Amino acid sequence: MPTISINRKDFERLVGRPAIAAEQLDAWLPLVKGELKDQDSDTGEVRLELQDSNRPDLWSCEGIARQIRIKLQGAVSAYPFFKPTPRPKRRIQVMQGLERVRPYIAACTAVGYTMTGEGLAQLLQTQEKLAEIFGRKRRTVSIGVYRLPHIVFPVTYALVKQDEVRFTPLGVEEKMSPREILAVHPKGLEYGPILAAHDRIPLLMDEEGQVLSLPPIINSREIGEVRVGDRELFVEVTGTDLLMVLLTLNILAVNLADRGATIEAVEVAYPYATELGKTVRTPFNFQKARSIPIKTIEDALGVSLGPDRIRQALLAYGYEASATKDRGSISVRIPPYRNDLMHPLDVVEDVAISRGYGEFTPIMPSQFTVGSLSRLEEVSDRIRDMMVGIGFQEIISNIMASRLELIDRMRLAGSDWDRIVEVENVMSQSYACLRQWITPSLLRVEAASTRAFYPHRLFEVGEVAVLDATEETGTRTLMVLGALIAHANANFSEAHSCLDLLLFYLDRPYTLEPISHRSFLDGRAGRIVSNGLAVGLIGELHPEVLEQWQVSMPSVVFELEVDALAERG
Amino acid sequence: MSTASLIDRLHPLEIKVLTALSRHQSQSSQPALREEELGRTAALEPAQLSMAVEWLLAKSLIRVESEHITQIVSLTKVGEHYFEKYSPVERILSAIRDASQAGRRLTIQDIRSREGLEPTEMSGAIGSLKKDGAIRIAEGGQVEATGTPSRTAEVLRSLFQQLRGSTRELQAFPEPMRRVIEQHAVKRGNAREPFRIDERVERWYALTPEGKTIAEAITRQGVGEEVSQLTPDLLKDGAWRTKRFRQYTISLRPPRLSAGKRHPYREFLDLVKHKLVSMGFQEMRGPLVETEFWNMDSLYMPQFHPARAIHDVYFVKEPTHAREIAEPFLSRVAAAHRNGGETGSTGWGYEYDLDRARRLVLRSQGTAVSARTLASGPNVPGKYFSIARCFRYDQVDATHATDFFQVEGIVLGRDINFRTLLGLLDLFAREVAQAKESRFLPAYFPFTEPSVELHVRHPRLGWIELGGAGLFRAEVTRPLGVDVPVIAWGLGLDRMAMVALGIHDIRDLFSTDLEMIRTTRGHF
Repeated sequence: MPTISINRKDFERLVGRPAIAAEQLDAWLPLVKGELKDQDSDTGEVRLELQDSNRPDLWSCEGIARQIRIKLQGAVSAYPFFKPTPRPKRRIQVMQGLERVRPYIAACTAVGYTMTGEGLAQLLQTQEKLAEIFGRKRRTVSIGVYRLPHIVFPVTYALVKQDEVRFTPLGVEEKMSPREILAVHPKGLEYGPILAAHDRIPLLMDEEGQVLSLPPIINSREIGEVRVGDRELFVEVTGTDLLMVLLTLNILAVNLADRGATIEAVEVAYPYATELGKTVRTPFNFQKARSIPIKTIEDALGVSLGPDRIRQALLAYGYEASATKDRGSISVRIPPYRNDLMHPLDVVEDVAISRGYGEFTPIMPSQFTVGSLSRLEEVSDRIRDMMVGIGFQEIISNIMASRLELIDRMRLAGSDWDRIVEVENVMSQSYACLRQWITPSLLRVEAASTRAFYPHRLFEVGEVAVLDATEETGTRTLMVLGALIAHANANFSEAHSCLDLLLFYLDRPYTLEPISHRSFLDGRAGRIVSNGLAVGLIGELHPEVLEQWQVSMPSVVFELEVDALAERG
Repeated sequence: MSTASLIDRLHPLEIKVLTALSRHQSQSSQPALREEELGRTAALEPAQLSMAVEWLLAKSLIRVESEHITQIVSLTKVGEHYFEKYSPVERILSAIRDASQAGRRLTIQDIRSREGLEPTEMSGAIGSLKKDGAIRIAEGGQVEATGTPSRTAEVLRSLFQQLRGSTRELQAFPEPMRRVIEQHAVKRGNAREPFRIDERVERWYALTPEGKTIAEAITRQGVGEEVSQLTPDLLKDGAWRTKRFRQYTISLRPPRLSAGKRHPYREFLDLVKHKLVSMGFQEMRGPLVETEFWNMDSLYMPQFHPARAIHDVYFVKEPTHAREIAEPFLSRVAAAHRNGGETGSTGWGYEYDLDRARRLVLRSQGTAVSARTLASGPNVPGKYFSIARCFRYDQVDATHATDFFQVEGIVLGRDINFRTLLGLLDLFAREVAQAKESRFLPAYFPFTEPSVELHVRHPRLGWIELGGAGLFRAEVTRPLGVDVPVIAWGLGLDRMAMVALGIHDIRDLFSTDLEMIRTTRGHF
């Protein structure tokens, strides 16, 4: 979900409407799934978040303006440079070996538009968003823009040794070899790992041997630094996925065309086969027409629109669309700057957005269903009600906790209980594990609440995770009741009375079996056994545990596995 | 307030004091009574008397007629000790005497260590003895008795005898003795002295005119014996009939109780849960630790999706992978990602990594629970919900929690389409948020198409995003064996909960502050 910055005046020029009111912008933003983040009325800067990660064509002022302009005009204006003829004047020759490094390149020229400050700002922003987000940090797609008059065609997309050439990259004064760039240049350090597996690296050179760039790292300073006032540009995209490379170039081409540039295609000649053959003319419209039954669209939308209104809606959203002869289907082709049509139902959303979601009257699903809680939730709720009745305050805690809280402070290091789910990518030591019992969560409250008046009677019914090799995920999620009593005279007998009452009402006969557990005082801890099954624990917390938590009151706890209690006897 | 109702509100102790004063007044020309005598006549313990007097003063029924301050001398613990084991002055004299009889002479240091005296005791005593002329310090620091008796020693001995077990007014002693007492009385910074001088304030109390009226009324009518607490005994023998029940001042704040109570945030979630059940939704549950398969792959999020990276999801350290993913789901989902499989989609067109599918993560979205439900042969028509704990790799701050609840669900049915989706969201807006106005905006989720954001006008927050929803993509439903349209919906309720609970920091939803938990009230 990229956030981009646009200039209001620039936007108005591209939409073709002066002084667009704030309410009008609000009404248009749903067309691009955009959300207004903030705006500066002095500078005219508006920041928008674009939600659709499959629509990189919308991540620029030109793209947003285009979608709105199409809606206003009812159809997209033609982009003649996508036509397969005539044969381009300019050529790029790809060299052998690149198929193993960075196989694809696409390029075009743009002349006749004098670069403005705002135009350049948008070009740089688009380049960055496309390469970083869509191009996965330049790994699959990267972009170069150059001053066309300095380049002598044909251009060669070559594979060179790292010390074979020297050129002056952007940002420095002197000539450097690719090896030096990868070793010391900031961009070399940032993006160099993309080429790390290769001895020989991609290089773009012209007929006279001038270096254009070292894709996907950096442009040359003489040719590859576009300035305000430039009128003739060369744009290229390299990458590892042909369709993504083509789509990116298509977006850049229509953006520049929308600003008034004349786009001319470039022919790319490969020594190896691609999905589109050995010679590819770029920009290239790789979208094919698909036929979608009207019924599919109508069923999904829940409204009978008929082929004409569906066609109209799609045209006004940039599609090429026409009803089939029998009017039972519609033949559609999405514009070449998009590639997000994976399933016929993807067209449905565009029909709805084009018409406006407000045009659809909500209706209630009519079929009868029975609501219910899970057995586990029902039993949890009964237990919670009883605990409240016995006088306990309910707590909700984070399930994530630290090892210190779950193990060390509980004196459990090295014991049977020292087996917990831990995360590999720890953000903060306080949240590095999942709790395996509730008591540490309640002690966390107790430690923070020494000034709250006593007695303290706390409980939580919540989830814990334990390791269990017999489960699909190697772990088991359990619902557990934990209860803690803390006051000057808190003792085993008081907790036992509460437990006894609770299990009486749940009609669960039980016995207590003495256990040795390092969190509890010896001889004052027991396992709760019901129907021959261990269902919980009860005990007086060891003074050392209380010291570790800096709890100054005697505390006694019990825990019960709700899962075990939820099984019908 | 009328005389009668004033009498009704009097505490039995107050009545005793009033009647005692009234009786005294009628028998004596002097209307006021000394505190001590008042206690005696009213037959009250000092503590009871002082309580009753305080209450009556506050009600202006009695007044302080006069006040007299007396200085009272008593022996301290040190004094008692000196009486029995002799004072330092006496002990120094006898030590010198014993030594000289044995033909030896002692220095101050010798005496101090022999008698085990504190430095302050020692210097005070030596000073007094020198002043009395009873000793002198010879060359070489040796102390000699002059033969003159010590006046101080004599006075102290007599005072110990007089004051032992009793107290006396300071003024009762002649001037020279008073000087010795003051010199050896406990002062700030020197507690090791034999005498204490306390100030005793004596007050004389008299009835005010109003008090007189009340007291006379009491004498005239008499009062039944007053009780404060009805007891089983009083009920048993009917004795309550002859008693008078003191009336309470009910405007006082009561003592605080520690009660059993549900957590306020849980109360909010319970309310949401009950609303969903009443709308026909069935609860579903899932595990906290999930595979990437159920958490993301089955939801058609490609394995290269940016939100699946190490900085968005928590990965489990050990075990790292699930043993296996159930078939036929794994193969079908893998095919949907690769080339669409049998879903009618083109798929994402990348090489799906089967090992990655088994990677264990902490559940990052409630939709994972929906995916598992879809695969488990759900009811058609069917409505499901879960309130699932989810985990995100986020820096914890006022608006981000590391684990939190997501309220999510699905609706399956042959009649499910874009308009019934909007109808369901409309219902949520009215039932869950009590919103009168709502609107729908296009949205993007990797697993739904079309996708909708539900915005509602909240009475206190204005327009807020209440939730997101959409129709599950065929790439999600088909591989899981579902061939009817399915609505996927999620509600973002934490902001609403925070407003309802009056808190501003998301961390306070899971507060560890018991006082805060006890006093937070929900306004639902």
